[in-house]
Amino acid sequence: MEETNKQVPVTVLTGFLGAGKTTLLNRILTEQHGKKYAVIVNEFGEQGIDNDLVVDADEEVFEMNNGCICCTVRGDLIRILSGLMKRADKLDAIIVETTGLADPAPVAQTFFVDQDVADRTKLDAIVTVADAVHLSTQLTDHHEAEEQIAFADVVLLNKIDLVDESGLEVVKERIKKINPFAKIINTTKCGVSLNEILNLDAFSLKRVLDVEPDFLTSDHDHEHDDDVTSLSFVSDTPLDMEKFQDWFSKLLQTKGQDILRTKGILDFTGESDRYVFQGVHMLMDASPMGKWPEGKERSSRLVFIGRNLETMNLKEGFENCKSA
Amino acid sequence: MKADLYKVPELNKTKFENRGKEFKLGIPVTNAVTIGNSIAVGFGDGTVRIFSSGQSSEPIKAHKGIVLCMSKDGDNILTGGDDGCFLKISLDGKINEIGNFGTRWVDHVTANNGSLVCTSGNIVYLWMPNKKEPKLLEHESTIGGVAFDSKGRKLAVSRYGGVTLWKKDYSNKWTSSNLIWKGSHNKVIFSPDDRYLVTSMQENQLHFWRLKDKIDSAMSGYGAKIKSFAFVDDSKYLATSGANDAVCWPFDGDGPVGREPICLPYVGNKLVTFVEPFPNENAILTGLSDGSVFLSEIEKASNTIIIRSFTEFEVSAIAVTKDCSHLLIGDMGGNILWTSIWDEEKK
Repeated sequence: MEETNKQVPVTVLTGFLGAGKTTLLNRILTEQHGKKYAVIVNEFGEQGIDNDLVVDADEEVFEMNNGCICCTVRGDLIRILSGLMKRADKLDAIIVETTGLADPAPVAQTFFVDQDVADRTKLDAIVTVADAVHLSTQLTDHHEAEEQIAFADVVLLNKIDLVDESGLEVVKERIKKINPFAKIINTTKCGVSLNEILNLDAFSLKRVLDVEPDFLTSDHDHEHDDDVTSLSFVSDTPLDMEKFQDWFSKLLQTKGQDILRTKGILDFTGESDRYVFQGVHMLMDASPMGKWPEGKERSSRLVFIGRNLETMNLKEGFENCKSA
Repeated sequence: MKADLYKVPELNKTKFENRGKEFKLGIPVTNAVTIGNSIAVGFGDGTVRIFSSGQSSEPIKAHKGIVLCMSKDGDNILTGGDDGCFLKISLDGKINEIGNFGTRWVDHVTANNGSLVCTSGNIVYLWMPNKKEPKLLEHESTIGGVAFDSKGRKLAVSRYGGVTLWKKDYSNKWTSSNLIWKGSHNKVIFSPDDRYLVTSMQENQLHFWRLKDKIDSAMSGYGAKIKSFAFVDDSKYLATSGANDAVCWPFDGDGPVGREPICLPYVGNKLVTFVEPFPNENAILTGLSDGSVFLSEIEKASNTIIIRSFTEFEVSAIAVTKDCSHLLIGDMGGNILWTSIWDEEKK
């Protein structure tokens, strides 16, 4: 997923019904003059969509028989993205609006698994529109809402004019606890500069190096056992590559269903390059990404977003990877 | 078919290119269909052109965006597009809209003896001969492909989880049965003798069913998705894309179970993207991801000749005229070659 020049960027808009996805979509389409967008919609919103190229589809989650037990992809996206790539005029971007109850994992996995899709398009970012008033309830009631926050590169916290300051802080804390990477943007009526949500290249390994996660200092208390949370680990001691690969591949094989997203920058003993990876469930994109910057301390950082993380002995596993 | 060349010449044009006619249209070729000695070609800008005797017609503005699929009904072209239209187009360019599904794409079209079929989403729309209103056949998931058997009494519809096989009884009533295999099934075809049904899958493999006893099996080992496959020499072989070789499975006798396919190798290790049976011969035209096209005898790989050298764009269409005198090659870069097949002295 590193080749960028020929690939059309795909932005995925998720969020519960009524959060403001269609408002955001129309804002993108009306503000970006002279650009050619295709919009894939999976739900008839309250408002119409103001674009020449709207494709209607049904969200269809397919299981892949590729030996990856949790690997599901979106069949409708494979079909439509492959079709769109036959167009004579090149698209500047493709925007996928998902239904309120969509799980973002199959969407992201489609870009890892389908070679035609991966060759010609790239997942640019998952933008989740959240309703500042209702998000807390939705997070408690619907696991889909948690997943949409967990997978988000950007959370557009909308309708902030309808909550007070302390209410807003509570919602933000909740988001950060699930996903410390997501950039939270406060808006009313989805008023956001488009360069904050488009062309982010959030799924490229280069971006893993740029984004500093916004970790909470509070401890990880949460209400339910199946809450989505995040855990992060840092080590100044270099890691043993073989031990790490052994631990990490076993971890993903056995716990991949509960691990939603992972990111890491790794310092391996005897290696002059930084190793960067990011993954969705069991699927992983990893590569050496050049030398460590001069004068900067080498260290390994690893972040997990998922369910039941505390049962996976992650700290112990990570500690065991340190070079003796 | 004589083996006079078996390597990619360096930038040299083949004799077929030298004596043929090239069209550099710059618009991706999505489909081609033979209608008599003409070949209709669909493009990624929604147009259709008719090629005959080395000439191209003016572009026919059929669809707004892309000609997604193409078939024929007698001497008419059938097309489906991303504008949601199902069209019948005559060779002189007259367009007749048969169906319109708005923002839902028409993904597949086919016909048999005057019955017209298109699919949009999970529904097959079936127009019986001379009927204005279509019959709707609904399926649980989006349709990956559709095919009639040779007599038009069976209609196979591939989808997630297998194939729905519709049968028409003598009172013209359609009933369905299911052929189940886990995974997402795309294109589907019957063997010309109607004994087998073959689908390509989202995974890099094919699946087939022998219809008389419902025995089924996978054909795997491919490095890429199999976008193009076709039966050759009546039903003797199934030629397939998706590997660096053209992989040809034997379907004579009891079929391919327990037998090895014949693999036809090509110079350069490029992916085979298109296979087209050469009519009435045990031979195929093979298009590769670099634009090169070869003609091979399946049982005699040494009898391979190069038809077109590389263009850098993957071959997306090959069609042979009914009289087998000419062929057309199209690629994703919008290059078209029309050429005679036989050397002049053989005529």
